[in-house]
Amino acid sequence: MYGQTVAVKNVSFEVEKGEILGFLGPNGAGKTTTMRVITGYFPPTDGDAIVAGHSVLTEPLEVKKRIGYVPENPALYKEMKVVDYLKFIGSIKGVARAHIGESVDSVIKKCALQSVTGKHIGQLSRGFQQRVALGQALVNDPPVLILDEPTSGLDPKQIHEIRELIKSMAGTRTIILSTHILPEVSMTCSKVVIINEGEIVAVDSTDNIGSRFVQHNQIEMLVQGQPEKVIEKLSELEGVMRIDNTSNRYTLDVEKDRDLRAQAAKKIVESGFDLLEMRTKAMSLEDVFLRLVTEEEGV
Amino acid sequence: MRNIAEIYKKEIRFYFSTPIAYVVMFIFTAVFGFLYFRNLTYYSELSYQLMQNQYFAQRVDLILGVFAPVFNSNSIILLMVIPPISMRLFAEEKKSGTIELLFTYPLRDIQMVLGKWLAAVTILFSMLVLTVYAPFIAFGFAKSAEWGPVLSGYLGMFLMGVAFLSLGIFISALAENQIVAIIVSYGALLAFWFIGWAVDPDSGRQVGKILGELSIISHLINFIKGVIDTKDLVYYLLFIFSSLFLTLRVLESKRWRG
Repeated sequence: MYGQTVAVKNVSFEVEKGEILGFLGPNGAGKTTTMRVITGYFPPTDGDAIVAGHSVLTEPLEVKKRIGYVPENPALYKEMKVVDYLKFIGSIKGVARAHIGESVDSVIKKCALQSVTGKHIGQLSRGFQQRVALGQALVNDPPVLILDEPTSGLDPKQIHEIRELIKSMAGTRTIILSTHILPEVSMTCSKVVIINEGEIVAVDSTDNIGSRFVQHNQIEMLVQGQPEKVIEKLSELEGVMRIDNTSNRYTLDVEKDRDLRAQAAKKIVESGFDLLEMRTKAMSLEDVFLRLVTEEEGV
Repeated sequence: MRNIAEIYKKEIRFYFSTPIAYVVMFIFTAVFGFLYFRNLTYYSELSYQLMQNQYFAQRVDLILGVFAPVFNSNSIILLMVIPPISMRLFAEEKKSGTIELLFTYPLRDIQMVLGKWLAAVTILFSMLVLTVYAPFIAFGFAKSAEWGPVLSGYLGMFLMGVAFLSLGIFISALAENQIVAIIVSYGALLAFWFIGWAVDPDSGRQVGKILGELSIISHLINFIKGVIDTKDLVYYLLFIFSSLFLTLRVLESKRWRG
């Protein structure tokens, strides 16, 4: 408990070595709190977090040695130069004095910071600052990385670069990243934990979680013709659960495991309408997410 | 040890890469220089007159005439220039959010506090070192140099300054806003200053004596006179230790309360 409100409860999950876990939830769901518990910034009032075999409650220093953490909107020492900052963090994180130059160089290379090493952090763009933040997390080469909304506040190009960087860091490392941006999870993570109002609503692999909650497929069509008649004809098809349209664009909800594209096309053409476009729409993670987090309100 | 050194280096670098250290040192040495110059010239005129008389000539005393009043006034300058040094140590990290990462590094609270404290102590020490030209000038013209009382005076000022700093760090750990930290530091230091005046210590009442002993300034007087009393040493060391201890407790409780 932090203050009087329970921020997170019964949040329990495991991450295997080498996995990228996406921690997904709307703003205020408890993502940051959970991450702060894992990093040892907040001790939990109940329960524990075990990182690489060490408990945050009994061996916080051992946990902290094994974690690289990038908070949301990381606050760095703006008046320090990038290279000095990384050296400082490296020493604090216990990188041996003899290896510190080496570690800093490799982080600078990994995070593509070569062009700004001599600049003060405060002068850097948001994207570069985020890379420096990643750099400080990586400088002691920790086995576990915790990234709180690593792409928030960046422009699309920077977002792409940071995602690539995160993907390149996986492999031997375990990464937990939180986000409220759904495509980020499907693009970078192998496993998803969906959290809402401080409680876990779903845990599964990214591939499974979509199909687990999908109850129907969708076909989207662009048809020229009188809407009422088109809908009438389409609803004659077997397996169609629902038809929506906005002017000429129709969305058909089709029973799961059924492919009606061929029949639908035939039907339209035989009825004398023009079929201009057709495609299937898989239920996206976004739909799953919205369904899961809004279920209680019955939307 | 290494962690303390790293935090220390970071804070020192900050003091000197921003105007803080320069401004504080400049103000301190300028005011000290002015006070010293006024006292020295006044006393040298006075002693010239005193020299005319056989009896008074024996009474010319650089310590009582020059250094005691300068060191006394100096304690007020220290009270003014030390909170600006201490106010930022924790308040700034909390305000800007850098404390979050600092708390996730394998670092003990005590290493953090000691590193920051030592950096501030270094600034204080260098400020005092910048004023040691004063006794050299005075003793250069005097027949005999009395270094003892001057050194003990410096020791007293240093200990009092460190006590100010330590209380300032404690307040900085409590506050998130630097302005609040500095104002509360001034308030607390002045309270410790005036507490001895609340009841006349010579009134014979026990409470007057106790309050007099609590006063942060009353313990400097012996040092300035050249007397190093265990009582005064213990007072300052206890004051410093308690402040640092409370700072650690504040950091710890901040963690649990989030």
